[in-house]
Amino acid sequence: MIETLPLSLLLLLVCSICSAKESFSERLVLSPNLDGTVTASFAFTTLLEGARPRDPAALAEEDDSQHYTLFPLALGQILRDNAITELHLTLNAGKWDYQNWGYPEEEGVGTGAELWAWMGEGAVQTADERWKNLRNALAGLFCASIGSLDEQRTTSPALTFQPEGDLPLSSTTHALRHGTLPSERVCTENLTPFLKLLPCKARSGIATLLNPHRLFDADWHGMGVHVRYLEGAGIEVRLAFQAVLNPVRYSGDKKRDWSMTSLFDRSIERSCPVASSSEIAVRVPPAGGAITEPAPLARHAGFAVYDVKHVDKPIDVGMRWPEETQFEYSLDAPQSALMIRRRLSGSDQYKGQLSVVLTNKAPHEVKTSYLETMPWLLQFYLHSLRVVCDGIPRDDLVSIVSYTPPVPHARPSLLQAVLTLPANSTVQLTMDVVKPFLRYTEHPPDAQRGWDLPPAVFVPLGANATGAARLRRVYTPVLLVDLATPDFSMPYNVIIMSCTLIALVFGGVFNLLTRKFVVVALAPAAPADT
Amino acid sequence: MPPRILRNILAKLKGRGDKNLTRIQRRRALADLAWRTYPRLQLLLFAIGYAWLLTIPSTLHGQRTYIDENALQPGQVNTYWNWADVHRADRYLEQLESMRDRNASSHETATFISNEFRKLGIPASTQDYAFSTTSGTVSGTNAYAVLSSPRASGTEAMVISASRLSLTGEGDGTLNLRGIATVLSLAAYLKGYSLWAKDLVFVVSDGYLDGMQAWISSYHGVTQGNLVAEPLQLSSGVIWTALNIDYPGHSFSHLGVFFEGLNGRLPNQDLINSFQVISRFTGGVPVLVYDHFDQSEFPDRVPDFVPKWLPQGMRRNEATQEYAYRAQNVMRHIGYQARGRASGVHGLLHQFRIDAITLFAVPAQGPHGFHAIGRVVESTLRTLNNLLERLHASFFFYLLVGPATFMKIGAFLPAPVLVGTAMLVGGMGAWAAARWARQGRAQGQAEKREEGRDVPAARWIERPRPVAPALSVIVYTHALGIALFCLCTWPGILAGGNIVATLLFASVALAAGGGSLLARAPAGSTQAPSWMILKSFNLCLASTVISVTSVLNFSLAATLAVFMGLPLSLSAPSRSAAARLTKFTLYALLALGWLLFVPGEAAQALRNWEVLRVWFAPFVCIVYTPLVLQAGVVCLLSP
Repeated sequence: MIETLPLSLLLLLVCSICSAKESFSERLVLSPNLDGTVTASFAFTTLLEGARPRDPAALAEEDDSQHYTLFPLALGQILRDNAITELHLTLNAGKWDYQNWGYPEEEGVGTGAELWAWMGEGAVQTADERWKNLRNALAGLFCASIGSLDEQRTTSPALTFQPEGDLPLSSTTHALRHGTLPSERVCTENLTPFLKLLPCKARSGIATLLNPHRLFDADWHGMGVHVRYLEGAGIEVRLAFQAVLNPVRYSGDKKRDWSMTSLFDRSIERSCPVASSSEIAVRVPPAGGAITEPAPLARHAGFAVYDVKHVDKPIDVGMRWPEETQFEYSLDAPQSALMIRRRLSGSDQYKGQLSVVLTNKAPHEVKTSYLETMPWLLQFYLHSLRVVCDGIPRDDLVSIVSYTPPVPHARPSLLQAVLTLPANSTVQLTMDVVKPFLRYTEHPPDAQRGWDLPPAVFVPLGANATGAARLRRVYTPVLLVDLATPDFSMPYNVIIMSCTLIALVFGGVFNLLTRKFVVVALAPAAPADT
Repeated sequence: MPPRILRNILAKLKGRGDKNLTRIQRRRALADLAWRTYPRLQLLLFAIGYAWLLTIPSTLHGQRTYIDENALQPGQVNTYWNWADVHRADRYLEQLESMRDRNASSHETATFISNEFRKLGIPASTQDYAFSTTSGTVSGTNAYAVLSSPRASGTEAMVISASRLSLTGEGDGTLNLRGIATVLSLAAYLKGYSLWAKDLVFVVSDGYLDGMQAWISSYHGVTQGNLVAEPLQLSSGVIWTALNIDYPGHSFSHLGVFFEGLNGRLPNQDLINSFQVISRFTGGVPVLVYDHFDQSEFPDRVPDFVPKWLPQGMRRNEATQEYAYRAQNVMRHIGYQARGRASGVHGLLHQFRIDAITLFAVPAQGPHGFHAIGRVVESTLRTLNNLLERLHASFFFYLLVGPATFMKIGAFLPAPVLVGTAMLVGGMGAWAAARWARQGRAQGQAEKREEGRDVPAARWIERPRPVAPALSVIVYTHALGIALFCLCTWPGILAGGNIVATLLFASVALAAGGGSLLARAPAGSTQAPSWMILKSFNLCLASTVISVTSVLNFSLAATLAVFMGLPLSLSAPSRSAAARLTKFTLYALLALGWLLFVPGEAAQALRNWEVLRVWFAPFVCIVYTPLVLQAGVVCLLSP
């Protein structure tokens, strides 16, 4: 602390020289879940005060030089170069269990990689070109295969992905580009560049807890980069990391007690000197019986809050249930207000059926938007869309907002719909799908694995919902589809077989074309005709 | 310049004089040769084909099994399954045994199992189902649980299952309580690890095969007319592989592998090989094919499967014993595969492209128990967890003649194909023979005195070959087969006992015999005799059936080759009516004998069709029986 103080003073001095003021804050929310797990949500926010996204019309001109102290330069350059107004990148592993873990702090929890951006139009370079540049730049920055989010996976579902910040008014219209890559695996090679964007890296402050050995052993983990423009404030970058850790699994005695040392194998020993605020909030379960240690500075709205701006001795927050000898799972599965299951059924190589079952436990009607962004690998028969509510056909419950049919080998399909879920009901939506035939060059190297399909996204609408300020997205798990796959282990057999066929056909045709038919007189001494 | 000897041969082949003339002459000579030698060729093909079938169990064929998929890495992990887990399995077993002793209902047991899963923190549910068949309703309750793996997207899954009834005696009522206890204890144990890349689905299916059929159909959203099954409350991703645990006894000495699936489908051989390697090297448990003991383990004892009538010296001969051991495995395999039967619960999963096997703990006084089977299953699951793609590298067509010895398709497929070719040659010969006839015996004898070379072609007359009568007999017999199949599916027909079966046999045989009227040639016609045309079609059709079946289901093709190969080739009418009738009766017995001699087998095949959609019963009724009846009709027609 003592050594870092002059450094931070120096930084502050440098900061004040810069044109834009920057501020950095960090926050960790730890909340115990119903199934004994603990959700840890890290958020590192940097605000570039007074800054505005680059005007796309000025893209052709030389950009002003950028000086940042806290704001990540690598990311800032990408944003400026492509005139991005808003950007969201998430890299997640696992499927989020809404029933047990509740609604996440960071709402982008779809499996795999998801990238969406709002950008102004009117530049020399079209939005699609800049989207491509953005993808490739981010792929390089985060060591992820986001570069393959090409036209075959890019859509513009503006109903579901509304901007989280503001769009500059002066600019021309804004366009949305969105793509998901469900087969992306997230691991340490993605975390390292992520940590490099933080002002204190993982050396001090809350980021100390980002221990890859523990995070990548969690039940679920994901990281996100969120850039938005806030009118009147500036450009905000939020680097988020979320993990669901399972103390019951780690402990030998099957107890759900946890502490930072048991979860992350680390405690916070130093504060991050450049952070303007740095706090840890622990959600105290309402059921009681839990003891939070050490005693928190403040408690409000069910949270115990710790300030880690000034650290005198190592901070190790934890929670104990002294009356429990062993964690007991509840026999009844917890019920959330809206439960969604999506399945692809059918064992055929051609036809299948996509079914979504939504259960509304709420005592009132719920409207929800429904988004499917499907690569052309699975093609919908929209006329076969059927809705059954508690066994009764109710096609009136669905209204299609927009549908963009897929273009084989080129463009995905986009289906946006609004569903009405009556109170206390189960609505099943089914739709026939066909699996197209791929060109043999389109198969990936692991051809026998099948193709991962992106999650569907639901956004419960309506005033009589929980009254949250913003509508929140709900992701379904991803699917895997088996397409007809040639036996790639036998290319030579195939080549030999087809060559033989061609030779046979060619030989026959050639023979007939070149042969001259004449009458030949056989000598009487010829062998007897039998 | 080619050597002189070659030039001579070429010159001989090319002949002298006009090139085109010699070519035509050569062609005719070849056709002549084919015509003269085809009966011998047919006989030769038959002889090789049947001899090949007999050599399949010999040590001439076969090679060691090997792992083809590099990702599998079997037996490369440390297993942590330990005595605490064995103890937990014992506790589960106690509870299951107490439920058995107080005769708990199937629903109660399923609820208990699903609650135990939930206590472990694994979402679980039950599923009620009912099949309605001609022999009554089969109903029950399945219990299942889905363990979502940490950090996995849940798009792929592995199934660990145990049926309530063991496969002993094809579900004769032996309970598989230890299998269920193993699954429950494994669930508790496997949940403690974060390394699973695929979801783990635990299924405890009711009954022997029916429960799993209901569960797996519902899982894939497949509806079946006679099945009422509750939709599944929990689901996971695409199932790639499955292990079914069958542990009926108190302890076990060996682990047997059962692998045949419905309609003759086999799992990828890598699965069996991995299990074999793991069981032997990680678990320390020797592996058997089915529950057949390998004679090499007991060098001093003459195994039971070596025929008693062999001389003592031969019985003690190692080669004989090896042959008999392999023959036993091959026969058991053919018994399952030809009838399209699943050799265990795993076989139902193959229809949905899931590679699955049953691990059968062969009941014995010792030395192995929960500890060994737990380790073997854990390690096998770890190996399957390594898969990045479906199992596809190794063989799907093979004969497992020993636990670590197998035959590739190329080593056994030629046998039925050669028999099929022999029939084709015979059929085409009959077709050609139908065209040509000698012009009267007396005239022929007179001509015989002349020089053979100078016999004019005119002593052969060409006959028209009307195909309509023969085709109508074929269509008629196959229609009769469909009618027979529909009759069999009527409630109570096959259960009606000997009298009903005999009546059915008699009526179908009579109706088939009546079919001969369709091909009755008008008296004194100059057309080719219809029996020849019918025989030709019959042989060609049967040959096609055998050849096509051989690439789908070798065992069925081999069985057909044995039952149809020679018998169909030998069909010919006789002059006396009594001989004709006797021949026809023999063919009718070959075609329909199953009604009289193996009624239990027939009822079982029909039940398999109704519950599991095994197409053996319709295949026999609609393809096999009509083909043999056609041969019978051939014998009835006028020569």
